[in-house]
Amino acid sequence: MSDADVDTAERIVVAGYGPAAHRLVERLAHRGHGGAVTVLGAEPEPAYQRPLLTSVVDGTLPSGALRLPAAPEGVRLLLGVTATAVDRERRLVHSDDGRSHPYDRLVLATGAAPRLPDLPWLHGSDGQLPAGVRVLRTLDDTAALAGAAPVTVVGGGPLAVEAVLALRRLGRDVTLVHRGPYPLDRHLDPRAGELLSARLRALDVDLCLGRTARAYADGKLRLDDGRCVAAHDVLLCTGAAPRDGLARSAGLAVDGGVFVDDELRTDDPRVHAIGDCARPAGPAGSYGGHTTAWEQAETLALLLTGDDFPPARSRPVLRLRARELDLVRLGAPDGADETVVLADAARGRYARLSLRDNRVCGAVLLGLDRAIAAVARLYQRGEPVPADRLALLLGAAPEYAGEELPGDVVVCHCSNVTGTDLEAAWQAGARTPAALTAATRASTGCGSCGDELRRWCTEFVRREEAVSA
Amino acid sequence: MSNVLVVIGHGMVGHRFVRELRARDRDRSWRVVVLAEEPVPAYDRLHLSERARGAPEAQLSLPGADFASDDGVELRLATRAVRIDREAREVLCADGARVRYDALVLAAGSRPFVPPVPGHDLPGCHVYRTLADVAAIRAAARPGRTGVVVGGGLLGLEAAGALQALGMRPHVVEGAPWLMPLQLDEGGGAVLGRQVTELGVAPHCGVGLKSVDAGPDGTASSVTLADGTVLDTSLVVFSTGVRPRDELAADAGLNTGERGGFHVDGHCRTADERIWAVGECAAVDGRCFGLVTPGYRMAESVASTLTGETPAPLSDPDLSTELKLLGVAVASFGDAHARTAGAMEYIHTSGAGDRYAKLVLDATGNTLLGGVLAGDSSSYGRLRSLLGHRLPGAPEGLLGAAL
Ligand SMILES: Cc1cc2nc3c(=O)[nH]c(=O)nc-3n(C[C@H](O)[C@H](O)[C@H](O)COP(=O)(O)OP(=O)(O)OC[C@H]3O[C@@H](n4cnc5c(N)ncnc54)[C@H](O)[C@@H]3O)c2cc1C
Ligand SMILES: Cc1cc2nc3c(=O)[nH]c(=O)nc-3n(C[C@H](O)[C@H](O)[C@H](O)COP(=O)(O)OP(=O)(O)OC[C@H]3O[C@@H](n4cnc5c(N)ncnc54)[C@H](O)[C@@H]3O)c2cc1C
Repeated sequence: MSDADVDTAERIVVAGYGPAAHRLVERLAHRGHGGAVTVLGAEPEPAYQRPLLTSVVDGTLPSGALRLPAAPEGVRLLLGVTATAVDRERRLVHSDDGRSHPYDRLVLATGAAPRLPDLPWLHGSDGQLPAGVRVLRTLDDTAALAGAAPVTVVGGGPLAVEAVLALRRLGRDVTLVHRGPYPLDRHLDPRAGELLSARLRALDVDLCLGRTARAYADGKLRLDDGRCVAAHDVLLCTGAAPRDGLARSAGLAVDGGVFVDDELRTDDPRVHAIGDCARPAGPAGSYGGHTTAWEQAETLALLLTGDDFPPARSRPVLRLRARELDLVRLGAPDGADETVVLADAARGRYARLSLRDNRVCGAVLLGLDRAIAAVARLYQRGEPVPADRLALLLGAAPEYAGEELPGDVVVCHCSNVTGTDLEAAWQAGARTPAALTAATRASTGCGSCGDELRRWCTEFVRREEAVSA
Repeated sequence: MSNVLVVIGHGMVGHRFVRELRARDRDRSWRVVVLAEEPVPAYDRLHLSERARGAPEAQLSLPGADFASDDGVELRLATRAVRIDREAREVLCADGARVRYDALVLAAGSRPFVPPVPGHDLPGCHVYRTLADVAAIRAAARPGRTGVVVGGGLLGLEAAGALQALGMRPHVVEGAPWLMPLQLDEGGGAVLGRQVTELGVAPHCGVGLKSVDAGPDGTASSVTLADGTVLDTSLVVFSTGVRPRDELAADAGLNTGERGGFHVDGHCRTADERIWAVGECAAVDGRCFGLVTPGYRMAESVASTLTGETPAPLSDPDLSTELKLLGVAVASFGDAHARTAGAMEYIHTSGAGDRYAKLVLDATGNTLLGGVLAGDSSSYGRLRSLLGHRLPGAPEGLLGAAL
């Protein structure tokens, strides 16, 4: 986009008022956009930090604490108003309060809606969820999760795990039903998954893995193995689907999200999409989350106010928000030429670093809080990792013994010869590896200690030289 | 007048025992009689595969094995002990001879275990333990044809290497999901599997043997695996574990361990104070060891007891192993599977997954408890000698050439 294309007095209409829209209008004002900005937000609330919803569920934060800063002055904010149709010919957005809003640029920021699993018992004839079945996407959804009765969470993604932990914090009995082999199976390798499962079980979460829910009645959820689990409520955390209905009915190209190019344009150059509702080029699922939403909002604000240089994309980071469990996934293991794993089952800690040219290209870290900070920094900056990766992962260098060869080590196991035995032989005049072998029988068995024997010989020479020097 | 010490079995450990005893027994308080079932003196069983590849038998000889220059030892070859009479303190031999003892050391080793699948005893089925077994395999080998080794442990792979050296195309059938499951973890097993495949050995992991099938002439002509795969072969080598040779125990009223073997205490003594057991036939505090180094420790312990010393009870043995055959480097040492309470694992994979190194560390992260190397075992000697000690420095430096 060149400067000539940009009319800073353009009228901008934004559909949706979540984190993406919020960041967009804030950046537009900051960059001095001169035209009118209208925002339609379906929720009655002004924009808030959706990722913190689980803190409202467990009562650690009042709902007001999630609210994002107020929109800049001059932005026309219409809350509780839903955009219902787009007339691209006449460049009008219609809303459910009967009004229409003319635009020069339309930005779709309608986010995502909970994705419901394809289970017959969920989909009644009235299109409503059965009583007791809940989702967690909005502030409004949090109120229904406040009880004390047993609750079952269905799903195995980050939201499911965060919700499980929040509900446990409330003191509720929690069952997690997930069809995968362990929670976060799309993010973690099996060993990390096992550790995560163990951590959740230690928090008294009942894990039903490799299972799907077959029926729900009378506060009981029946699983495909016949087992019934107590579930006063069932919370579905089975993913989010981009809300692309408005774009679809306006005839824009959509398929699991509104297709956008690098400049966040849909196939209509006057219509853009950002945040969870957008589907940028690249493999499906390689995008998403509030960081992406913010970056897209910032990029679009720059482009709409005449800047050619959108900032570089940050790299994907998944971080679980739960004080019981420090878990981070960065990047992807693809293309790594070196992998380092630290598996500390006893303390429920795990790390897998995927390195390319000695730089982090992917990582999974569980329960290693110091390493999480250090590795995330190396990853974001693309800096080389230090030579001592064990120290990096443990957060501090272990107490190493130094290069001095300890005398009590068994050098030759076949003949049970220690370093001290070798030294005695050396003192008695055995001054070559062969002489040491003859004197001690070291290296007469399987022969695997030959290198060690030579190392000791060199060490004796060095010690003598050090003494005579 | 000297006492009589009878040793049953002249294998690697039995021989080490006699040598140790002779070295310590300066005033010749013992006269030693060794009863050896095999027709040849003890030899280096560890290097049996070299014989399979054609090395002369002499290359496997152990120093002083025939005791030709030692008049304190009488070696009776091709002489099997068939009964122990504890009351009379006599050993009865298959040739009818009776040998009285003042002390008796059992060093009978193990015999190969062959699973009772249909056809396991057809002509064409072999085991891999003795020089005689190797001679039979050499005679049966047909260059260019498929040979099947049942069992993908250390010995099975050695056998596969031997078959390959004899010009055959070896297949290895292993019930566990990867090769050398006792020593290696999944990552090390994956590297090993890839490398042996590149070297022309075909592994079939995670699938058991269903049967050995006879051809029209009544000899083995193919094997069928549990998944239905049929491999045409006239040569099958079973390498599916060993069982301690404790068959003399029952008659003699000696206890055996839960999984077999003469039950002995931490000084290798049976409940009969005149009888000891060493090597693979001994169940020390109930546990048998299928490696030679623990056997050597037992031999040394009993030799020193019988020469008037009081050795400390045996400590947990070192179960390190290294595979040197087939040009594949894998090794496992110490607590390779991180079974020690509180242990953590540090795993390094490099070279597009061709090199795998795992260190098992204690809870502090600085003391080496064990490990697994695959693809490059050049740091094996060093790491093995550091077992139970603090790491000298960062693991990467230690794995050194392995990276
Ligand atoms: C509990 C929870 C935890 C999360 N944790 C993380 C996390 O740790 N990390 C992370 O990266 N992401 C997380 N996410 C996802 C993150 O919240 C979203 O990526 C982010 O909110 C996307 O912002 P958005 O503005 O694109 O969409 P949304 O936040 O979904 O906002 C869209 C808004 O548009 C409104 N709207 C929809 N259609 C219309 C219409 N036609 N007219 C008017 N308004 C409309 C919706 O009501 C909604 O208010 C979490 C989500 C949840 C629910
Ligand atoms: C091919 C191969 C490779 C191996 N590689 C390794 C390796 O790399 N590292 C390792 O640590 N171990 C290895 N082993 C195992 C190692 O050889 C044994 O642990 C070791 O030989 C045990 O010694 P032993 O004296 O207890 O038993 P053996 O060596 O089996 O000797 C026992 C002897 O006693 C005889 N005997 C049994 N009963 C009687 C009786 N009633 N009367 C008289 N004689 C009897 C037997 O015929 C035999 O000669 C290998 C084994 C094989 C077959």
